[in-house]
Amino acid sequence: MNDMTQPNVVGQRTPRIDGEFKLTGHAGYTGELHADNMLYGYPVSATIANGKLESLELDEARAMPGVVDIFHHGHFETLHRSPNSMAHGDMVNEVRLPFEDERIYYHGQYVALVVAETFEQARAAAQRVIARYTKMSGATAGLLQTDAEGELQESSGTSRGDPEAAFGGAEVKVDSTYQIAAESHLQMEMHATLAEWHDDGQRLVVHESTQGVFFQRNAMARVFGLAQENLEVISHYIGSGFGNKLFMWPHAVATTVAARMTGRPVKVVLPRQQDMSSGGNRPASRQRIRLGADRSGKLTSVIHDSTTETSLVHQYVDGCGSATPSFYACDNVSTSQRVLEVNHGTPCPMRAPGEVSGIFALETAMDELAVELDMDPVELRLKNNAELDPASGLPWSSKHLDECLTSAAKRFGWENRNPAVGSMRDGDEIIGYGMASCTWSAGRQPCEARVELRADGSLFAACGTQDIGTGTYTIVAQAVAELTGADLSRIEVKLGETSLPAGPLSGGSMATATVLPAVAAAVRDALDAIKEVAIGSGGAFEGSDADSLSAEAGCLTDGNRRVSFEEVLETSKLSSVNGQGSAAPGNEQNEYAFRSFGAHFVEIRIDPEISRVRVARVVSSIDIGRAINPPTARNQVEGGIVMGVGMGLLEKLDYDPRDARLINANVADYIVPTHADAPEIDVELLDYPDFKHNEFGGRGVGEIGLTGVAPAIANAIYHATGKRYRDLPITIEDLLAAD
Amino acid sequence: MRTFAFSRADSVERAATSADATAFVAGGTTLLDLIKLDVLKPANVVDINALPLKRVERLDDGRLKIGALVTNTDLAHHPEVKAHYPVLSEALLAGASTQLRNMATTAGNVMQRTRCPYYRDPAAKCNRREPGTGCDAMNGINRMNAVLGGSDACIAVHPSDMCVGIAAIGATLTLQGPGGEREVDFADFHRLPGDTPHIEHDLQEGELITAITLDAPLKGAGSHYLKLRDRASYEFALASCAAEITLDGETIREARLALGGVATKPWRCTEAEAALVGQPAEKASFERAAEIALKDAVPREHNAYKIPLARQAIVRALRNAAQDKTSQSETQESQA
Amino acid sequence: MDDSVHSRTRAQAAPGTQTLNFTLNGEPRTLEVAPNAVLLDVLREQIGLGGTKKGCDHGQCGACTVHVDGQSMNSCLRLAVMCEGQHVTTVEGLARDGELHPIQQNFLECDAYQCGYCTPGQMMSATALLNDERVGTDDASVKEAMSGNICRCGAYKNIVEAIQKSRQQLSYDATQKEGTA
Repeated sequence: MNDMTQPNVVGQRTPRIDGEFKLTGHAGYTGELHADNMLYGYPVSATIANGKLESLELDEARAMPGVVDIFHHGHFETLHRSPNSMAHGDMVNEVRLPFEDERIYYHGQYVALVVAETFEQARAAAQRVIARYTKMSGATAGLLQTDAEGELQESSGTSRGDPEAAFGGAEVKVDSTYQIAAESHLQMEMHATLAEWHDDGQRLVVHESTQGVFFQRNAMARVFGLAQENLEVISHYIGSGFGNKLFMWPHAVATTVAARMTGRPVKVVLPRQQDMSSGGNRPASRQRIRLGADRSGKLTSVIHDSTTETSLVHQYVDGCGSATPSFYACDNVSTSQRVLEVNHGTPCPMRAPGEVSGIFALETAMDELAVELDMDPVELRLKNNAELDPASGLPWSSKHLDECLTSAAKRFGWENRNPAVGSMRDGDEIIGYGMASCTWSAGRQPCEARVELRADGSLFAACGTQDIGTGTYTIVAQAVAELTGADLSRIEVKLGETSLPAGPLSGGSMATATVLPAVAAAVRDALDAIKEVAIGSGGAFEGSDADSLSAEAGCLTDGNRRVSFEEVLETSKLSSVNGQGSAAPGNEQNEYAFRSFGAHFVEIRIDPEISRVRVARVVSSIDIGRAINPPTARNQVEGGIVMGVGMGLLEKLDYDPRDARLINANVADYIVPTHADAPEIDVELLDYPDFKHNEFGGRGVGEIGLTGVAPAIANAIYHATGKRYRDLPITIEDLLAAD
Repeated sequence: MRTFAFSRADSVERAATSADATAFVAGGTTLLDLIKLDVLKPANVVDINALPLKRVERLDDGRLKIGALVTNTDLAHHPEVKAHYPVLSEALLAGASTQLRNMATTAGNVMQRTRCPYYRDPAAKCNRREPGTGCDAMNGINRMNAVLGGSDACIAVHPSDMCVGIAAIGATLTLQGPGGEREVDFADFHRLPGDTPHIEHDLQEGELITAITLDAPLKGAGSHYLKLRDRASYEFALASCAAEITLDGETIREARLALGGVATKPWRCTEAEAALVGQPAEKASFERAAEIALKDAVPREHNAYKIPLARQAIVRALRNAAQDKTSQSETQESQA
Repeated sequence: MDDSVHSRTRAQAAPGTQTLNFTLNGEPRTLEVAPNAVLLDVLREQIGLGGTKKGCDHGQCGACTVHVDGQSMNSCLRLAVMCEGQHVTTVEGLARDGELHPIQQNFLECDAYQCGYCTPGQMMSATALLNDERVGTDDASVKEAMSGNICRCGAYKNIVEAIQKSRQQLSYDATQKEGTA
């Protein structure tokens, strides 16, 4: 039996097994796929954010070369809405169907889809479609542009103790409000769909750049009234998603209808502008944090009240307070959540949804508290470290926040920090040191997998999850290699198809802990099967006891003799044996609390005479249990840090306050970090396998790196300037205003 | 992206007689961007890349003649430019990205269109794009818009970095038109928006820029191009400053100053330059010049920050130009 | 070399397709393209080489970077017809005879990517950079020169590492060649 405390492949640096496809240009992302006789679709989107579509003038567009059809409210199939259930796996990002009515709820909402023989023809004709609108006044341009409070979400709040009373009586208090602008995922590959109907409209194959093939299949089955088995969704390579490809968007429905009504495959790649206006965003948030503490720095009250945006066509709640009850040891804690409907495209989860915003507020407030207390911010956090999960009262499965804090502080050189504001200088620059803790919950879902041992010497593993760039292909192969001893080069992994055993969403940092146990179960099942073959009549180990056999180096062995899997199979005249596996979270969920923690330390440099702020250096220690593939895990944390630089200093979707139109839906005006913005980064992954979470000991890593970066930056800027920035992004205007 | 007829020009003279609604394409970085957005709608696109306009030559009078089709990359790295016009090299390299600089040409950069989001959105009101429709930027999100040279009709920024360097240096444009060749002072080429923001420059129907000739270099000048922006690279300027300065000991003998990112055209600050002459090369002088340069600035709701930011750009660019040791040692050598 | 590749087609005034002759990854090609077809779309949709990516279509992200006559360019802002007679290299042309180019090998080993979508553009910019003696070789110069290639996954650190590693190998190879010559 394999010993996961001393693995050979798991936990070892493993170059991506799909790397060569990506590096040679041969990985097929959805937008570059082709089908025979395929048409190109190009959406026409609303140029107003609130009103009614009065008419569409289509004659000129229809007459243009190559145009096959134009779909819109008056020319579309009647469909059903998805029930939008997380539990039933048919959640969608926008329940409203495309062209469902003639109301315009947001800028960028699709009003038509032009379908033509070539991409150029579809785009040219789409620009000749003339839409006439009645503009309505009263568009809500955004949460941060109103005083509206939004609607309280009763189900989203939590409370323990008596936080109001404790805050009232606290010796030291912080009471601050934080605002974060709406952000764009800006994943490099835009949303894309290629829909093909087969068998006279009875069977549907959809290629979608999605983080959840099964969710999209289930939703499409509901929308089109198809049996799930007549519908396949495929997503082999995804140009990332960061959450906006978790669930289906209306463009996929419009494309699929166009394919059915034209009788030909149709491909739609959203133009970037539409991707940004109609393909998801992180909603703006306004949060009030009240912290109460005694003079020693012990927290006595935490009250976290949040409001986020949703659209007029879909309810999305970005739960900012979800990490707060578990973050610090404190007896009196409450969170509340409100949602305000605004005239934006529907927001959706974006990397560390809710929590990253909440942690910005909480960890900035903690820095403010440290200043009030005249206490080192690291010491304040260590003082309030929660030994048990204060939300559930359960012990942590594995928690090493204290070590993250001390280790990162040491590597960063925190002891060199002069706490006096603006005291550290280098030429024209003021140096600021800031830090924050970070966290993300460690979830796990049910999952199935299949493994095949083949007579040609290859091993095949399949699961209907996806690799969005996190390295799932590779860690599945590592798990198979670990449990069979077979060389990685012999292992083939297939993901991203609904014809495969049901796998999870690639989201929430859950895929690794969800998929690997199922793959392990399937490997064991396959090994049991091959052992049965081997001990059977005419088998390689005929007459042996199955329990006496074990797998090593891609062979079966009885301790004396090794026979390769392929030889075992050939001896018994078999082409392959199959293993099925499934795994799900169990009773451990009632015994332990599961969450990853870490710490970021940031050095910023401000040149005050030219109002320039740059993040120079980030040192982080993160405890994610075991990293199955350390380089890819570290890469994700480093990428999260880079994204955090954007969140802290750059990123903001600009909605015109007059009419809620999104005016910077492009990659030049919505700015994200470039190479030159990337700081020097030093990430340490602590190596404490969490076997209470799953047998591989890994807890997932996609979100945590982003959390805590923006507050560490804001806290560093405070250290440099003495000015407390509570709104993101912190821009040049803000620095100038500080003078 | 609309369709158009495409042809290639094989001579400057023939190119310069092209029909209405013709767009010349060289690098294509502005033209194709804006055709895709349906902002520009040429019926004919004429590729001028085969024209013999790729030379950089030093003229006998010390000026530098740059062919219209010299790419931004080649110009930035040209030995003559690096040696005698480092402020232009720095400005070029501060602009766009490597790839765009490899495509973009000198004349194309002069003809660059504004980045105003309302200009780039055919659904918005824009006097520059469609005369008489109004200006959505005036009371909209005008963070990127101009504080200098604007009018009630338009506050769109001229986005070029290269042109800011050239404005500081001084230059002459050579234009070829149906009626022959003519020359225009660079300072007069770009128009202030006034009541006619759609008339962006002095180029007449059918005319083509064939060359840009830089004034002779300012002997012994220290220089600096400073670009201030949100992110560290690949972003248009919020404020930028090209500064050249010559010193007699600690006293400023001559100064050249131009601003980018804050004005409706490449913005030479002649009054501020004059105020620097004879002053000590120190912060107080630089700050006074910055005050003068921005004294007519008109802020709008979201761009008022550009006024102090441009002042900061000026003060720092002048300081760095005054401390530009390479050039000063050159001065000493030439004096020796 | 086939001379026809370099023969100039004369202007055609009428809208409709035009003949384009160019060299793609070392192979001469002739095809009919619409005048308003952009090189990026012709590569992806007409020729079927999907390695060159569309990330913004406006020269703002660098995912579409290719080499035109050895220079890195945004293929989304170049009309296909403008490439008449030119040599275009895409990511599919980097590997030779089944051997990964050193930049590809180092991207693999340094894990200089995540989703892989910006990666072809990053590598095309990187290979052009490594051949450009005008750009400094220190990390800061590399980062500035590479800033036209956005990586939203944020793998910048590893990308720069892969580039610098390739530089060392390529200069080592060059030294070796000189030594044996």
